[in-house]
Amino acid sequence: MRIETCYFCSAPVYPSKGITFVRNDARAFRFCKSKCHKNFKMKRNPRKLAWTKSFRRAHGKELTVDSTLQFAARRNVPTRYNRELIQTTLKAMSRVSEIRARRERAFYRARMRGNKERQRAEDRKLVEENQHLLPPSERSEVQKEEEDMEVDVEKVKEKVARRRKEIEMEEEELDSEVEELPKIKSKRKLKMKVGGGVEEMEVDE
Amino acid sequence: MAVRAQFENSNEVGVFATLTNAYAIVAVGASENFYSVFEAELQDVIPICHATIAGTRIVGRLTAGNKKGLLVPTTTTDQELQHLRNSIPDAVKIQRIEERLSALGNVICCNDHVALVHPDIERETEEIIADVLGVEVFRQTIADNVLTGSYMALSNQGGIVHPKTSIQDQDELSSLLQVPLVAGSVNRGSAVVGAGMVVNDWMAVTGLDTTATELSVVESVFRLGEGNGPSAINTTHKDAMVESFY
Repeated sequence: MRIETCYFCSAPVYPSKGITFVRNDARAFRFCKSKCHKNFKMKRNPRKLAWTKSFRRAHGKELTVDSTLQFAARRNVPTRYNRELIQTTLKAMSRVSEIRARRERAFYRARMRGNKERQRAEDRKLVEENQHLLPPSERSEVQKEEEDMEVDVEKVKEKVARRRKEIEMEEEELDSEVEELPKIKSKRKLKMKVGGGVEEMEVDE
Repeated sequence: MAVRAQFENSNEVGVFATLTNAYAIVAVGASENFYSVFEAELQDVIPICHATIAGTRIVGRLTAGNKKGLLVPTTTTDQELQHLRNSIPDAVKIQRIEERLSALGNVICCNDHVALVHPDIERETEEIIADVLGVEVFRQTIADNVLTGSYMALSNQGGIVHPKTSIQDQDELSSLLQVPLVAGSVNRGSAVVGAGMVVNDWMAVTGLDTTATELSVVESVFRLGEGNGPSAINTTHKDAMVESFY
């Protein structure tokens, strides 16, 4: 009795459980539950569904390259029965699974490392960008703006004075200019001719 | 020595047994009569193994082997594979093949030096055959039949092919295999000689229906019964046996 793995989600399929589909090129697909079978029939790609093992492997969410994962494989060349070998194998099995569990934990830790800092930085950025939503007393930016104003007061005064001068000059110029004729407002439209080309036409309003 | 036998009223001996110079595999039947035929001839010479492949009794059609190796199809369960390994000498390599054409006995016809295989067999499988069985592999057809293993019975001494094989084809195959070939039948005119009989270098088992003429053809082409019985193992076949049990 071999415990097969589900073709779709890689869950173990025990004898008498699940359903097997044999394609006409003699390839057998084992499914652990109807969900997997239905998804297969809908031609979904298990690598694109987040709940399958193949997705997790394909997206670097699980340990994929490791010596402990190479023990569980279908072997085509048998070895002769040997009592000592079987005994050591049995011992090794528990030990290997122990080692694998430890490596998986380490892999998970490494994958999650830096998440806290990253999250904190994102939160800070969010608060910074949305200061206007906070009550004035809570704002951290207010202080900064006031400081800026104090620093810039002299410069601003100078700017204002310069601008005023310019405006006065312009007003003088305007007074000297002759009054222009009032323009007739008219809209212009372009009309496509039958023979080709464009004709301009005026529309009064 | 050529003997007649029957497996549960079936004459197709080659379907229910595999015979090589180093081991024999016999299907598990309701009675031991079929097994006894092999036991009578081969006991203390080569191991005879009761086996199933993928839970079926058609072991002869599903497996292919010679004295150096045994190939079993991908449908073979782990337990069956383990059982074969435990019953067959260590010198014989056993390998399960991931091949679409899973009836390996039908698509592979081999002796200890050459194998003729189905033209559609996969490239990797061809390599495995060459590797495990230690043979030269040729993609061939026999009388326009792609199932080389069904239509040909082959040993290191000679071979029988489908009765309607043309002379040119026979010559071609014979030059490829370097053994004499004859076109013949077994089981009172059955053309599937590969499935109708099993043969190794010193014995052949055919169906109970085989006529005396057919049996005499078998004996002559495989050079059986001229002091080639199991008794000759210690003398003329000593080299082959020593080699295979080394």
